[in-house]
Amino acid sequence: MSAITLKQVVKTFGEHRAVDDLSFEVPTGVIFGLLGRNGAGKTTTIRMMLDIIRPDTGKVEVLGRETADGTKDRIGYLPEERGLYPKMKVREMLAFQGAIKGLPHAEGLRRADRWLERLELGVWRDKKVEELSKGMAQKVQFIAAVLAEPELLILDEPFSGMDPVNQDVFKDLILEMNRAGSTVVFSTHVMESAERLCHEIALIDKGRAVLHGSITSIKERFGKNALRLEFEGSGAFLAELPVVEHFNDYGQHVELQLVQGADEQEVLRAAVGRLRIRRFEIVAPSLHNIFVQQVGGEGSDA
Amino acid sequence: MHKILAVIRREYLASVKTKMFWIGTLALPFFFVIIFGLNIASQFVNPESQKTLALIDATGKLSAGVSEALAQHELDDGRPEFLIEELEGDGSIDAGRKSLEPRVLDGSLYGIVTLGNDLDLPENFKLYRKAVGDESTEDRIRRAIHDSVVGLRLERSRLDVDREQLEALVERVRLESYQVREGETKKKSFAEALIATFAFVLILFMTLYFYGFTISRSIIQEKSNRVIEVLLGSLSSDQLMTGKILGVGLVGLTQVGVYATASLGFRFAMATGGMDMLGDVLSIGKLVYFLIFFVLGYFLFSTLFAMIGSVCNTEQDAQSLQFPVMMTLMIPYLTTFFFVKHPDSTATLVTSFIPFFTPMVMMMRISVLTPPFWQIALSILLMLGAIYVMFRAAAKVFRVGTLMYGKRPKIAEIIRWARS
Repeated sequence: MSAITLKQVVKTFGEHRAVDDLSFEVPTGVIFGLLGRNGAGKTTTIRMMLDIIRPDTGKVEVLGRETADGTKDRIGYLPEERGLYPKMKVREMLAFQGAIKGLPHAEGLRRADRWLERLELGVWRDKKVEELSKGMAQKVQFIAAVLAEPELLILDEPFSGMDPVNQDVFKDLILEMNRAGSTVVFSTHVMESAERLCHEIALIDKGRAVLHGSITSIKERFGKNALRLEFEGSGAFLAELPVVEHFNDYGQHVELQLVQGADEQEVLRAAVGRLRIRRFEIVAPSLHNIFVQQVGGEGSDA
Repeated sequence: MHKILAVIRREYLASVKTKMFWIGTLALPFFFVIIFGLNIASQFVNPESQKTLALIDATGKLSAGVSEALAQHELDDGRPEFLIEELEGDGSIDAGRKSLEPRVLDGSLYGIVTLGNDLDLPENFKLYRKAVGDESTEDRIRRAIHDSVVGLRLERSRLDVDREQLEALVERVRLESYQVREGETKKKSFAEALIATFAFVLILFMTLYFYGFTISRSIIQEKSNRVIEVLLGSLSSDQLMTGKILGVGLVGLTQVGVYATASLGFRFAMATGGMDMLGDVLSIGKLVYFLIFFVLGYFLFSTLFAMIGSVCNTEQDAQSLQFPVMMTLMIPYLTTFFFVKHPDSTATLVTSFIPFFTPMVMMMRISVLTPPFWQIALSILLMLGAIYVMFRAAAKVFRVGTLMYGKRPKIAEIIRWARS
């Protein structure tokens, strides 16, 4: 059974079609990535999953129900814009967040203490939220989302604005929650984090799903027709080669997406004599490149 | 329900735990006590002096008894407190009084007591003084007159009385107190009722506005620090709005409850001190009505403020929308004087049935006279109806508005959401 099913969902705000005929499923027990550029409709989609807003037409079914009556307690939510009460004490605020998920106040306090201890915030439990550093506040926000042990954890851009250490802490927590049985859905426009964590993804652009499925099946679909090159010299001319469909300069290396059926040796031949090649590798395209290829028609900020 | 309670609890503790709340709550009764305390203290601290009282007696039969009763009061040094000048009221009491008023003004007379001929007329007995603040002296004079009047009533009735008549005969005498001034002489009890009424209305105005404003500010803050989205991930917008309104309302009720309790305590403290002059203006019944109208008014206005909060992103944004709401509150407040003077006029009656004006206007009417119960009941019913309608409209606006960021929607748009 699917944890989430979206069928032909449409949501408009005034003139703007935020979500346009969107359909996909999130199987129970997976880590699911909702990918897309800024403004692609990710947050709107997530809000509909949480029944914060309702679709104009189409169906959103979460944990087997169409409305959120009774399901909100089973969902943990980390919004993109972090929201905490600045004047409340940390553990009191967490207990409140638990209480609105149906946890008794005392139980909320107990779990809050346990989590704070675990994430090395024990000494901060009676401090006001506004005294926390950004990184600490991010952890507290995460605790708020998982305090009621949700079956479904929905995270909107969980890694944005996070330092590498915290990113790892979060990645481990997400994996842990998933292994303990929670379905995890998170949105991101950073492909690397999706590639590392997700079993399945939906790539949405302008409110529509342009790609949907498991990471392995998507990569297979795109075949092993990408090249990774490391070299010395100016490689800008590579982008102009007829066999190259897409050129992506990462600084330390470049990734070339070749046109269907092209011979990769063409690239090698063109490069000899003009560049000093240190590495030449045939790879499956990265999610990043697939993403850029699918949606990057008019320039991408991803 | 559990969720709404959690929101109420959070909202309540967030306010009640602040110092500002307690300063605001305790400051008002505190100043009240200080002002009255100083007033009373000055009465006691003043060196005692003998008071010359002119008695104008139209009956010709009361002044002896009154003088006798007053003669029992002595100053600490043993001298009699009152010196009485008895005057026969030869037909016109007023003429006699007018001729004596210059002496009141120059201080050689403490006051003039006039005793009319019609013992059953409530305004038959009057006391004219230069300064009317000395309640304890007034009370001693009133009691002296009372005893004599009861005696005379019994005599006139020739003792052929049944129980009902007897009660009428010994009915407490009211002494109306007048202030003698150059030009006009003014009845004092009206001023007292006016002050009490103004106090009721002012507190209603302040608390309704303040707590309504608190609702909208609290919603705007939750929008700007984005807590609202976390909350809406856990509970429905209706639950959130209900919880917030009830939570903040409970804070307001706590504060108003402290005011009511403090004023009752103050009144009883005064009464034990022998000065029950507040008994009428601060009766328990009136305070109960005050609490009722606070609660109803709060619910009605909080829905408006909740709508405003939900569609605005900054407090500056909210100001322009709050203005008309504040005006609605201001109208009955600024016209208190008219309503108090004409508590039974059609205009007052009609205004008191308009739900947005009811709390203040009805409270004014209750404070200065006792309106028929059906009128109070009807106004409460109308308010409950208005609250129901407004609450549903606010819930709809709240649902759409809370997640709107960016430009504030136009009023026409808000009305469309409310009616959808």
